[in-house]
Amino acid sequence: MSDDIRTLSETLAADPSSLVFVQLGEALRRSGQQELAWRVATRGLERHAQRADAHDLVARIAIDRGDFPRAHAEWESVLVIAPGHSGAQKGLGFLAFQQGDLDEAARYLGAALADDPTDQSLAAALDTVRASHPDRRPIEEMPTEPAPVADARTLFHDVLGDSPQTAILLDADGYVVAGQYLTADGRDLGADIGAQLSGVSEEANRAMRHLGLGRWNQIVFEAETSSVAMAPSGSGVLLVAAPRAVPLGYVRRLLERSVERARRWLGKSA
Amino acid sequence: MAGEIGMSSPFTGLLQTLIRHRGVTGCMIVGEADGLIIDSSLQIGVNGDAFAALTASLYRKAQRAAHAAGFGETGFFELVAEGGRMCAAGRNDLVIVVVAAPRVNVGLLRVEMLQGLEAFV
Repeated sequence: MSDDIRTLSETLAADPSSLVFVQLGEALRRSGQQELAWRVATRGLERHAQRADAHDLVARIAIDRGDFPRAHAEWESVLVIAPGHSGAQKGLGFLAFQQGDLDEAARYLGAALADDPTDQSLAAALDTVRASHPDRRPIEEMPTEPAPVADARTLFHDVLGDSPQTAILLDADGYVVAGQYLTADGRDLGADIGAQLSGVSEEANRAMRHLGLGRWNQIVFEAETSSVAMAPSGSGVLLVAAPRAVPLGYVRRLLERSVERARRWLGKSA
Repeated sequence: MAGEIGMSSPFTGLLQTLIRHRGVTGCMIVGEADGLIIDSSLQIGVNGDAFAALTASLYRKAQRAAHAAGFGETGFFELVAEGGRMCAAGRNDLVIVVVAAPRVNVGLLRVEMLQGLEAFV
């Protein structure tokens, strides 16, 4: 248990009506303790049903759990309490995109981007939605991507080829912006894997602040079944995972190529 | 630390091997759970306590994330930053932590760290 989580837990235990449950739930979510995060968030919401941040937290954990209807309902509640809430608009935009409702996705993401024009992940997501739309702009109007990717999930396919490697681009909140992680039976676990691994990059940022080594460029680790490489990308992080049989040096090359692919797609300098 | 005052520990040989690598500025055996140094060989100026604590914390985080993602136990871990590298490899609640310059032969370092884990039975 991290010091932050321990401190927040103690604070909440001392005062169960405290609003610290929002921070605690988020910290637990980011540390991969999904069920505990869910319990903390839903109990907190029972006490504070009029707080937009409580509904937003429950919605984000619901996404991690694959409970999209609940996430949708919670984000709609957020917008009732706090019209224009950018997190809720962003979440509803992603949900609409997942469900193929491109008009609705563009409406929500456009509103969220208007609220925060500096959010590169929103701009990229909106571009993807527009590129997917039947009434999309002509290809020549898209200056940063010579071969537009209609589906963000396939962004890294040409980098990875047909091999079993996978790449996922996550935004600063741990949401999947592009890429996918397919299981043998065809399920996309990108959101789950991303949520678990994005916490590592946050821990790295914390370590860099204390150690004076400058910014981190790359993290690589080997687990029993897979090797994982990650690097900062835009405001988020890019992950590449490969079976252990794939040489670690090759995984790093794939990461570098995927970072470059994402950089061009996001339309910004690294 | 044992290596600095002439005492020996079960890890002295491993630490002496690792610290001899060009570019390595410090190596430590650290408790995975508490991030405290058990034995170390450090160049002057390296803040061993901070590296030990933060690298162990990162290693734990990677370990938990890998477990949660279904990837199993974590072996070798490496972080590359503008000003240097941190490498870690763990077993049985102990972690070998190596601090190095950006340009170090990390392939060789990795092999020796993984071999070093054999002693952690």
